Amino acid sequence: MTCSNFFSLSLSFSLLSFLLVALLLPISPVSTSTTSAAEQAKALLKWKAGFIHNQTHSDLLPSWTLTTNASSHSYPCNWFGIVCNQIGSVSHIQLGDVGLQGTLTSFNFTSFPDLVHIVLVNFTLFGTIPCQISSLSKLRFLSLFYNQLHGEIPSEISVLTSLRVLSLGANHHSGSIPLGIAKLRHLTVLDLADNNLSGSIPTSLGDLCNLTNLHLFSNALSGPIPLEIGNLKNLTELSVFNNSLTGSIPSTLGNLTKLTLLHLYSNKLSGPIPLEIGNLKKLTELSVQRNSLTGSIPSTLGNLTKLTVLLLYSNKLSGSIPLEIGNLTNLTKLSMNNNFLTGSIPSTFWNLTNLTKLSVFYNQFSGSIPQEIENLKNLSSLQIAWNNFSGNLPQQLCDGGSLVNFSANGNSFTGPIPKGLRNCTSLFRVRLENNQLDGNISEAFGVYPYLNYMDLSNNKLCGEISPNWGQCPNLTSLRMSMNEITGCIPLELGNSSQLQRLDLSSNHLIGEIPKELGKMKALSSLNLSHNHLSGRLPLEIGNLSNLDDLDLSANDLTGSIPEQLGDCFKMTYLDLGKNKFNGSIPEQMGDLNSLQRLMDLSHNQLNGEIPSEIGQLQVLENLNISHNMLSGSIPSSLEKMLSLTSIDVSYNGLEGPIPKNKAFKDAPKEAFTHNKALCGNAKEFAYTMSVTEKCDVYSFGVIIMETLMGRHPGELLSSFSLSSFLSLPSSSVEQPTMLKDVLDERISPPTAEVVQIIVFIVKLSFTCLKVDPQSRPTMEHVSHELSSLKSFFV
Amino acid sequence: MALHFLLSSVFIFFAISVSPTLSSNSEVNALHALRARLTDHTNVLQSWDPTLVNPCTWFHVTCDSNNRVIRLDLGNSNISGTLGPELGGLQHLQYLELYMNKFEGKIPKELGNLKNLVSMDLYDNNFEGEIPKSFATLKSLKFLRLNNNRLTGSIPRELSALSNLKILDVSNNDLCGTVPIDGPFGSFPIESFENNSRLNGPELQGLVSYDFGC
Repeated sequence: MTCSNFFSLSLSFSLLSFLLVALLLPISPVSTSTTSAAEQAKALLKWKAGFIHNQTHSDLLPSWTLTTNASSHSYPCNWFGIVCNQIGSVSHIQLGDVGLQGTLTSFNFTSFPDLVHIVLVNFTLFGTIPCQISSLSKLRFLSLFYNQLHGEIPSEISVLTSLRVLSLGANHHSGSIPLGIAKLRHLTVLDLADNNLSGSIPTSLGDLCNLTNLHLFSNALSGPIPLEIGNLKNLTELSVFNNSLTGSIPSTLGNLTKLTLLHLYSNKLSGPIPLEIGNLKKLTELSVQRNSLTGSIPSTLGNLTKLTVLLLYSNKLSGSIPLEIGNLTNLTKLSMNNNFLTGSIPSTFWNLTNLTKLSVFYNQFSGSIPQEIENLKNLSSLQIAWNNFSGNLPQQLCDGGSLVNFSANGNSFTGPIPKGLRNCTSLFRVRLENNQLDGNISEAFGVYPYLNYMDLSNNKLCGEISPNWGQCPNLTSLRMSMNEITGCIPLELGNSSQLQRLDLSSNHLIGEIPKELGKMKALSSLNLSHNHLSGRLPLEIGNLSNLDDLDLSANDLTGSIPEQLGDCFKMTYLDLGKNKFNGSIPEQMGDLNSLQRLMDLSHNQLNGEIPSEIGQLQVLENLNISHNMLSGSIPSSLEKMLSLTSIDVSYNGLEGPIPKNKAFKDAPKEAFTHNKALCGNAKEFAYTMSVTEKCDVYSFGVIIMETLMGRHPGELLSSFSLSSFLSLPSSSVEQPTMLKDVLDERISPPTAEVVQIIVFIVKLSFTCLKVDPQSRPTMEHVSHELSSLKSFFV
Repeated sequence: MALHFLLSSVFIFFAISVSPTLSSNSEVNALHALRARLTDHTNVLQSWDPTLVNPCTWFHVTCDSNNRVIRLDLGNSNISGTLGPELGGLQHLQYLELYMNKFEGKIPKELGNLKNLVSMDLYDNNFEGEIPKSFATLKSLKFLRLNNNRLTGSIPRELSALSNLKILDVSNNDLCGTVPIDGPFGSFPIESFENNSRLNGPELQGLVSYDFGC
């Protein structure tokens, strides 16, 4: 063998092996790119490097590392949340809340051509969806639900034609729904709900003929529901609620015969409910509430026999309820409140025995509610308020004992309280006010363990208040005002420690206010006005530290106002008027410094002086103490009540100057009339009472004495010494003894010369302070007299 | 693999139950949003049921004959927390009584939207920040008591446009600058401004900047 021969032999051999290798290589079924597992692992790690830890915990994806115990070519397929296909390329990425935040921007989409499944739900993804996502041509399942993604949904999504499920719900995406979504012909689930998407629903969505679930709810979509949606023959769920969609409900929706859920509520839809909706025989929920739908309820709805929920409320529907609604025997919830519906409830309604909730309030229904309502044994919520219903309430109501919420207020119901309510222990909230019920309530009600709210006001009910009410442990509001109730207030009511509001006003109640009411620690509003209650106001009233408003007016209460009332420091409204309270106004009333809306003590027999502590009521706006027997002068402290808007002190025995306060100045003469000797600068005094000037003189006299004494002359004005003083001869040297007692001790005693001047001035001031305004000098005279003093000073 | 798919389907449809259902009554929603911010130590807000058609049977809420909220009486109620913009939505509110509580944070400027407000009592709380300039649009306001808080900044001169204002009390705060003298400010007694260590007396128009010392 020669060298050249050997050389050519080795060449051909290497050529052959080279060819062999070259042929073998492409056999492995790898993608068009040359990404290996190692490169995909690197790309994932690069993506992970961009994450931020949510908590200060250690690494929460510990498996995502290149240094593992396992053999080196099992990553990344053995990593948490990563699944590979048969050839070791990543096909599934599935991560939920792993305590991290990240974006998709650092994710190298082109390294993962075999991805079929991406689920990153509640991962906390931020940022936008990059358009590079379009490289995932095999992607079938994409769920980025419940993250913080924002920005527009990229139109490149339309390239992912393998997609079966697209869920971008519960993010912050904005902009319009990309028109290209219509190209995703294999799509079965499209969820873009709970974002900030705007613009119209593309008509091309009607091309997605494989769609079973379409969720576009809770966005800012506008424009109409495209009639092309009616082409989506496979649709089982259509939810577009909580948007700003306008126009009519397309009648083509009647073609969606597989539909089970139809939610169109909380939009701006108008026009009628199409009768074609009656074709949707599989429908279990139909909710169109909170729109502006008009016209009648189509009778074809009666064909939807699988319906469990029918919500038509808060629209502008008119006409009467079709009889056919009675065919919907699977209904549990039926709400048509807040419409303009008329007529009576069809008798077929009482076939709806599965009904738990029936709401027809705020309509114009008439007629009565028949006994047949007792067929609805599962009824827990019956809301028929504010209609024109009449007749008696059905006596067997709540016979099954399941009624929880019952409001029939604002109708013309007559007759007694239904017997069935006595043992209706499930009751929570009952409103029967504003009707013409005229039964006897003494035995009509039982003890209710859950009852929270009861209002029987403004009816013609008679009988007596049952002590049972005190045994209802959950009762917070009990109102029976404006009825014909008689008898006494049961002391057992005092056991009701949860009661916050008690209104028994405008009835014929007699007897005393039980002191046990002082145990009702939660009471914030107590109205017993306009009854015939007698006896004293128990001092236990002071225990009601949560009392905000107290109205006991127009009764026959006697005795004095208990000083303990001053302990009710939260009180903002107090009306004790039109009673027979006597004694004086307790000074403790001045402690009620939250008193704002009203203090009314008028039309009583209160005597004595107005306590100066009343001036502490700084936020009081309305004060009425008229029609009493109050005496003395109005304390000057009332000047400080700057919030006063209206006052009434008329029909008392008050005298002296009125406070220099805007409320007093602006008050009409009726506010002061029929007193003893009030004077001052009130607006209308100027026109009607000629003693205005004399009042100024009186005030001047007070000022002189105040200056000399260093304090308000108060006691001196009403004391005996004043009148005896005036009876003394005009100038007496004995006077300095008297003066020494009253002059301001902070100034050194006057010299003999000054004493003469002071005596002169004091005498002058006493003439100003004469009780009878007519015997006071004029201001001109006083001024003249004072000017004559000049001769003393040379 | 199939399990994973199933789990993801669950996640997709979870959204439906997560979205909160709002009342159709905006005043219910406003008050409900307020309640969410507050800590109600003595359960005075227990009756605030957002499923009711209006808030008129709620305690401490008073409505007019059209079921619009006119009074909010929560004085002295052991409540802490902050106020938010939602209160500005109560368009018919006349009396906002939140005094003597433990409110903190800033006074929301949205309160300036309350065109019908007659009385705003926020006194005796821990409010901080400035008195909103937006209060200048409270045309019906008669009583504004913000005393005994931790308010800073100057008294907005815009408040002198409130011709109905009878009482303004900003005493016991940390206000600075000068006190306006125009409009109703001419009749407020000096006690209304006392105990603001950086408040420099009445404004000296033209001589000194009105927010001198701020």
